[in-house]
Amino acid sequence: MLLRTEKICKYFGGLKAVDEVDFVLKKGQLKSIIGPNGAGKTTLFNLIAGAYLPTKGKVFLKDKDISRLTLNKVSRLGVVKTYQINHIFPNLTVFENIRIAAQVRKTSFNIWKQAASYREINELAEEILAQVELIEKRNQPASTLSHGERRYLEIGIALATKPEILLLDEPTAGMSCAETNQCAEMIKNLNRNLGLSIVLVEHDMSVVMSISEEILVMNEGRTLAEGTPREVSDNEEVQRVYLG
Amino acid sequence: MVDDRTSSIKLPDLHSPPKPVIVYGTFIVLLFLPLVISTPLATEILIWTIFGLGFNILLGYTGVLSFGHAAYFGLGAYAAGLAFRYFNASVPVGIVMGILAAMVLACIIGALAIRSKGVYFAMISLAFGQMLYFLALSPLKGITGGEDGLTRIPPLDFLSFSLGKPLPLYYFICIITGIMLFVTWRILQSPFGKLLQAFRENEERAKACGYNTTLVKYCSLVISAFYAGLAGALNTVYLSYVPLSTLFWLTSGTMVMMTILGGKGTFLGPLLGVGVFLFLQNTISLITPRWELFVGGMFVVIILVFPGGIMGTLAEKFAAFRMRREGK
Repeated sequence: MLLRTEKICKYFGGLKAVDEVDFVLKKGQLKSIIGPNGAGKTTLFNLIAGAYLPTKGKVFLKDKDISRLTLNKVSRLGVVKTYQINHIFPNLTVFENIRIAAQVRKTSFNIWKQAASYREINELAEEILAQVELIEKRNQPASTLSHGERRYLEIGIALATKPEILLLDEPTAGMSCAETNQCAEMIKNLNRNLGLSIVLVEHDMSVVMSISEEILVMNEGRTLAEGTPREVSDNEEVQRVYLG
Repeated sequence: MVDDRTSSIKLPDLHSPPKPVIVYGTFIVLLFLPLVISTPLATEILIWTIFGLGFNILLGYTGVLSFGHAAYFGLGAYAAGLAFRYFNASVPVGIVMGILAAMVLACIIGALAIRSKGVYFAMISLAFGQMLYFLALSPLKGITGGEDGLTRIPPLDFLSFSLGKPLPLYYFICIITGIMLFVTWRILQSPFGKLLQAFRENEERAKACGYNTTLVKYCSLVISAFYAGLAGALNTVYLSYVPLSTLFWLTSGTMVMMTILGGKGTFLGPLLGVGVFLFLQNTISLITPRWELFVGGMFVVIILVFPGGIMGTLAEKFAAFRMRREGK
């Protein structure tokens, strides 16, 4: 088991945003979390990523308890999240956006050597740019990218940190139909070709059903169902609450 | 991927440090500055430029506003002054004392306040700065000279050049300014410099990439204090006296004004802001004692015309021009 949560809870005052959820991710798996708005998907994401401290319960990465670790420490252990709303470095070039993430494991506090002289880091950044198909825009400030391209850059930044587990929060949000299909294809390739373990929160059911190996359905902070895409789509309770 | 009109356009990164030739060119221009303006004014510009380069690292490149930088500048000035007066220290030793004192203070203030964000950090830094001011004013009056400032600093020289004479002093400080311009340029090109800019752009994202952003902010503050301490110590060498006002909040406010005027987050912005501010101050104060009123008014006008500061707005306009030209 690569990652698991054990009866994880997050309460905001009286609101039980996540309530005793057991989530399991195997190595190399692509697993989706779905559910209606307010089901607790993003909160569960943030608990796994270290952005929130759990009220109760634990998160284990390869049997190591990471529940109390902060976002940056969890990220350094290889669990990296992307954001629902674009979180990029808008006034830096596309290349710099990726390069800054790529340097995290190599060098951060060197104040003398020029960043451009780190060949390995620059090569990794170029490689990621090619993967997320932004190579032609490498010298543009990130703020000039279209929404779809920013979503790609968001994924690129996460990839550049060399994660073991990628947490993608609604990566196709706001994308056109063609962009969504392309993005789904890219996520599938990251999983199949690079062997990345991926947790995906997504509202687009065609994406979820086509690329996920397993799905966790949440409702009102609790687990409603779990299984393969077929099992989930056949589940009457899931149909009633979410799929309609 | 979406392929729009701008895909082939290469826009300059507005906040990138300039090419080395600009750094060397600036140094050469500074060498000839006393031919254009009075040597004391040129010397003041250099000292405040060093202060501004460091302040710009914190405000312009890291995005952290400090209203207490007078503490580092003033402490640097006093530490050097005390070393000169009481220990007959040589100029390099006095300067090193000034730098170390400012950095140690930044380490302490940083440890206490660095977790505060935005205006809270600005206010806490202001409070610490004022604490130091009042300490120097009264409880430590016996050492600091209180309201009269630290006087009776012996004449200073360096490598047999008397720093009491305007030109040798100017070129002594000019060489240090040149070194600091180069050092700043190197810092901004380094992985750490890039990280500072990432922090300014999106702290949350930098954290999600695995960076300890509190440490980034802390290091930026200490580096910035290094510059302020150096500038403070050089101010003591220049004046042979430490006025109490070096610790007053107005010194911090002036620095904020100069940096914003020149263009925060641009490499040459502090130099330009300092130059324009001190030139206006010196020129207008010859005409009227109410020079602050006019300098303040001009500051408002300049900021209205150049919202990103002089350098920042010029860079934006140049980038827009290039975009239009290459887009055709």
